[in-house]
Amino acid sequence: MTEGHSNIVGFCCNYAGRVSEEVLREAGLMPDGVRIERLPCTGRLEVTTLLDALEAGADAVFVAGCEEGTCHNLSGSHRAHKKVGVAKGILAELDMDPGLVEMFFVPRAETGPLVSAAREMASRVAGGKKGQRSER
Amino acid sequence: MIIAERKPLREILEMISGMEKVLVLGCRGCVAVCSAGGDAEVDVLASALKLGRKRQGKAIHIDKDTLVRQCDPEYLEPIKTLGREYDAVLSMACGVGVNFIADRCPGVNVLPAVNTSFFGANLSSGEWKEMCAGCGACVLHLTGGLCPVARCAKSLSNGPCGGSVGGRCEIDPNVSCVWNLIYDKLSELKRSEDMKEIMPIRDWRTAGHGGPRNRRREDLLP
Amino acid sequence: MKAASNLEHVLRSGAFAVTGELGPPKNGNPEVVREKARLLKGVVDAANITDCQTAIVRMSSLTAGLIALSEGVEPVMQMTCRDRNRIGMQSDLLGASALGLKNLLCITGDHQKFGNHPQSKGVFDMDSIQMLGMVRAMRDEKRFQCGEAIKEAEPRFFLGAAANPFADPFEYRPIRLGKKVAAGADFIQTQIIYNVEKFARFMEMVRDLGLHEKAFILAGVTPPKSLGMARYMKYNVPGLDVPDGILSRLRDAKDQREEGIEIAVDIIRQVREIPGVAGVHIMAIEWEQAVAEIASRAGLLPRPAYQNVVPVLVSEATIEEAVATAKKEVEDALAHEIDRAKAEAQASRDLVAREKERVQSELTGLRKDLAAAREDVRSREAELGRMKEELLKTRQELLERPMTTVSVQPSITPSLGPEGAGETLTPRERRVLKSISAGLDALRKGLGLSEDQFSAIRHFIEAELTIHAEVFPESRAVPTPISRPMESPLPEMAPAQAEAAAPAPPEVSPEDQERRKQVTRLIAKGNVSLQKRAAQEAMEAFDAALALDPGNQKARDGLARAKGLLPAAPQAVPTAGGGIPPCPPELTPEEWQRKWVIRLVARGNVALQKGDMEGARASFEEALRIEPENAKAKKGLAAVESGAAPPPAPSEARPEPLPVSEPPPSQPSAPKPEAMAAKPAPPEPKPAPPSPSPVGVPLAVGELPRESTSLAERAEGVDKGLYLDPASGAIRAVRIGDGPSAITVGGESALPFHLFEGEMPFPPRIAFEVLDSPPEDWPEVLTRHYSDVLADPAAWARKCVNEYGAKAICLSLVSTDPNGRNLSAGEGAKAAKSVLDAIDVPVVLWGCGNAEKDTETLREITSLIGSRKVCLSPLTDANFRNLGATAMALQLPVVAATPIDVNLAKQLNILLQNLGLPLENILMDPSIGAVGYGLEYTYSVMERIRLAALTQQDDKLQVPFVCNLGREVWKAKECKLPSDDVMGDQEKRGILMEAVTAATLLLAGGELLIMRHPTAVSLTETLIKSFM
Repeated sequence: MTEGHSNIVGFCCNYAGRVSEEVLREAGLMPDGVRIERLPCTGRLEVTTLLDALEAGADAVFVAGCEEGTCHNLSGSHRAHKKVGVAKGILAELDMDPGLVEMFFVPRAETGPLVSAAREMASRVAGGKKGQRSER
Repeated sequence: MIIAERKPLREILEMISGMEKVLVLGCRGCVAVCSAGGDAEVDVLASALKLGRKRQGKAIHIDKDTLVRQCDPEYLEPIKTLGREYDAVLSMACGVGVNFIADRCPGVNVLPAVNTSFFGANLSSGEWKEMCAGCGACVLHLTGGLCPVARCAKSLSNGPCGGSVGGRCEIDPNVSCVWNLIYDKLSELKRSEDMKEIMPIRDWRTAGHGGPRNRRREDLLP
Repeated sequence: MKAASNLEHVLRSGAFAVTGELGPPKNGNPEVVREKARLLKGVVDAANITDCQTAIVRMSSLTAGLIALSEGVEPVMQMTCRDRNRIGMQSDLLGASALGLKNLLCITGDHQKFGNHPQSKGVFDMDSIQMLGMVRAMRDEKRFQCGEAIKEAEPRFFLGAAANPFADPFEYRPIRLGKKVAAGADFIQTQIIYNVEKFARFMEMVRDLGLHEKAFILAGVTPPKSLGMARYMKYNVPGLDVPDGILSRLRDAKDQREEGIEIAVDIIRQVREIPGVAGVHIMAIEWEQAVAEIASRAGLLPRPAYQNVVPVLVSEATIEEAVATAKKEVEDALAHEIDRAKAEAQASRDLVAREKERVQSELTGLRKDLAAAREDVRSREAELGRMKEELLKTRQELLERPMTTVSVQPSITPSLGPEGAGETLTPRERRVLKSISAGLDALRKGLGLSEDQFSAIRHFIEAELTIHAEVFPESRAVPTPISRPMESPLPEMAPAQAEAAAPAPPEVSPEDQERRKQVTRLIAKGNVSLQKRAAQEAMEAFDAALALDPGNQKARDGLARAKGLLPAAPQAVPTAGGGIPPCPPELTPEEWQRKWVIRLVARGNVALQKGDMEGARASFEEALRIEPENAKAKKGLAAVESGAAPPPAPSEARPEPLPVSEPPPSQPSAPKPEAMAAKPAPPEPKPAPPSPSPVGVPLAVGELPRESTSLAERAEGVDKGLYLDPASGAIRAVRIGDGPSAITVGGESALPFHLFEGEMPFPPRIAFEVLDSPPEDWPEVLTRHYSDVLADPAAWARKCVNEYGAKAICLSLVSTDPNGRNLSAGEGAKAAKSVLDAIDVPVVLWGCGNAEKDTETLREITSLIGSRKVCLSPLTDANFRNLGATAMALQLPVVAATPIDVNLAKQLNILLQNLGLPLENILMDPSIGAVGYGLEYTYSVMERIRLAALTQQDDKLQVPFVCNLGREVWKAKECKLPSDDVMGDQEKRGILMEAVTAATLLLAGGELLIMRHPTAVSLTETLIKSFM
């Protein structure tokens, strides 16, 4: 992974943002280095999945779940939100930036919010890297 | 049930600094029920430690396992050999489990990954409260089933102290005055008269002040 | 006498006792204690020495008590249970007794959390009541707590305890006080009292219990040092009741300390009136000086003579000090006597001298007076003569020139001062002067006037003149210098104010202001557009704002954000043929063009995927227009050409009421599933206004074409082993219902509809779902088919059978749900009975899903319906025992319901079989999901179960499936959204959702389907027929 090129994993509800990431990337919407993993429901997500993604080299991880009240499984994205909270706590305990894990609630039919979420994370990673450089 | 809480990651990372191979060992007993050291918590701790060590630039090999109970010898058997393959066994059981491994498994370096907190009840998902102090001399029959030893800040025996206001304890407004609860409970049970009895000074030997406690039952011994 | 302390003496004598409080220092300096003791000496009968109060480390109460005793103040040693166990406590008590301490107050002690060592371990080996008992036993029974005897001098203490009348529960407080008295308390000191009224009520209860006769009760009083302290006590000290009246007294007081003392005195006066109060305990916290003042004002001084206050231990220094003091006292007395004698002698001498002087000065004075009197007479005579002369002269002149001016002046003015000098006289002035002269004339007659009288008259005239002079119009003196400074700042302030109030330079501001307003409006508009993601609009707004105010940062930021938004908001860009939108500043035109083409191609691909051929074509063509050689665009266009079977002629689209009464002639080999609307979202143009379909049968399906040649014929010449994979097991056949209308499901020895591989003796069946109460969440497109019977389950079931040809009915007992209407089991059973009485077809009774309630309800029903072979469902791991037993007894078929898992399904079947229920009476509900709601998961689980049953001879899984799908489908959002252009007709949508779900479940192995919509049922039945 080269500097300036971020490696971000997004765990995304199968129902959120229906257009595939390839199409989005081809359309110049999805930042480079963002990989979207589709899940049947974000409620299925475990804290370890988030941590392991970071351990495996991701610069940041985000979860895009359904907006409140629209989850297919009623409270899946709510549970995901709590798991993200736990992961954030662990990052803080490890002196890492808790902002490297984030939860986004995205409408089920639109692609824009998913893209914004990916961009937000890309800019956080970029900001973090810049910060590290200036620290040195 | 025994309630425990994971130690801060920083403390655990400090314990295992310099180690290269660690076994995170959960327990399916109390700590699993109180979500402190069951399979799910083993997974999270292992992932967190790997991430923490990677961040320190010192990767670590972590294996995971969970025993049915760490406080019974038969379940501990495999650890006697398996444990030696690791620089440390990071036990997520209560202090009993850690002690038992240390007692029974020579050559195994066992470390605690949780703080064993208290005997408590599960108020609701994610909330536990101390209800028993394990004092070994139960007076609950005198107090309407509510324990003044565990639940009064001063373990009073003879009613609420002057700091009891509006049913709250003076040490913390979030803590109920258990003597106020006892008063209400006994009134409800038409046993208010019991509150006039002077309870004698306790014998604290059974509470562990008489040395480490143990129990034997001849009829069950092998 | 228990301990014969001074305090005990005072209390037993019946005198109103006074105790004080002495807080030991947080250091080892004995002087602090001595000083405080001196302040209390003679003011209190005894002073409490606190034991590390509020859990803060201080000099021990025993030590400080001893020091106080050495100063002649009797201590009440306080002891808490917090810091010592019973060994330390008893040890200290022996020591205290040995050193002459005779009063002991037993308290539990403040929790260590409140002190300066919150980490410490609180001992609390016992509580205060138990301590009282322990110390009394040491005194009265001469034994230690363990029971061992104290062989020699036992510790003798007058025992005290604390009581808080203001803690909760209020009614219990006197009872607890009684426990303390019973345990050994000789006297009680109460918590600080401010709420006297409540304390009086407390005392009433105490008197009712007779406690005031068993122990002396001293009321606690503390002078509030300040309003702040009173507030702190009110809000921060648990168990202290400070009424608002006390706070307001302090707030209004000029001197809060003085008021604090007054408050304490008032409270003492009031509590003294309450029967049973034997004294007061004045706790002047870190304000020991106040105690004497309070005691004195409350009329409590002097105190009875001290008794038995003898320190056992006195240090050498103290003795030396005492000797030195005594010696000094004697010396001082002698010196004083001498001084007095000396002073007396001196005084006598002084007196003689003073007397001599006085006589002499008196004589001289008399002589002087005589001379002065003579001189006075002489001078007066001379003066009068001169005045007489002057007046005569003046009068003469006035008479000589009566109406002329001026001539009077010289004679008058010298005596009237300078005011009128040199000025022309007006007639008025003249009149004045005339009067004056008349007055002076009169004077002539009274020559006996003294100098003073005369001068008084003169001054009067002068004053009169001055007053009149002011009447003259000489107003220049009016603006006094005082008014000046008030005036001066005004001119400076005024312009500034004026500027602020009304636009001072009015030729610039309105324009400016208007411009600013417009900029703000534009930015707001831009932000709104941004919110709406309309980048173009936003950019225009911000550009306009910048044109007006080029430096505006908000507009700049907004513009940047709008630009950032541009690519993310493709809808803001003209769709096709509009050319390339303006190039964003961060890109070169070439880059932008390339990007734009990529975007167009992507959009085309998206459209293609969605089936929007026209949109796709437009996008690709536009891309090719800009970049004619773009391969992807070409490819896309080709895909459009080839894929667009119905050529892009949307105007001809005719509303087609979904598939087809017969296969379209152009596609003779059209497979059956297509007829079943396997393409739920075909690119076909929608029937524009989705008018509600006619009630009844919106989708009619005729008989589907069937394959007439068998597979064997068609596969002639192919080795059978290549396509046949016959099952080794078979599904059990389960019979539901009675008589000729009974149905049997299951029984097959092949995968669903694999008729070429094995048998499928019984076709899958469909049961109509009937609710026992009118459904609340069914869409209207569904209820309309049952609108006349919704309220009557029996009529509903009959309608299903008679009108829609139902072969089976599933009665859902939803209204028995404890979380819903919670009808009783009996009422549920009545509804079920009515249904069963109304129809002959088999009935599945489906409970509400609450295990306990279902057990109750279904049992109730079975007791009502006799021998009807209804099917009981659902049996879960929570209630299979009870319901299984019922089913076994009546030989009823049951539905074993498990949450979508192979192993759980199998396990429940095993459990039921173990119970004794034959597998021939079991159907499985694997928990199913509707299309779009987990159907694929259901499918795979069912498929695995069925494969295990058929190919792995998994005996326990060889039972038919029940699929309760109607309820799953019709709760989906897609079935509830109204008709619109995008989603099409609501009813058709729902029917297809249900039919497609049913079709899929049939293919997964479903044998008994529970459905809702009559058309969906008929579609599904058509499909089954064509497959069999």
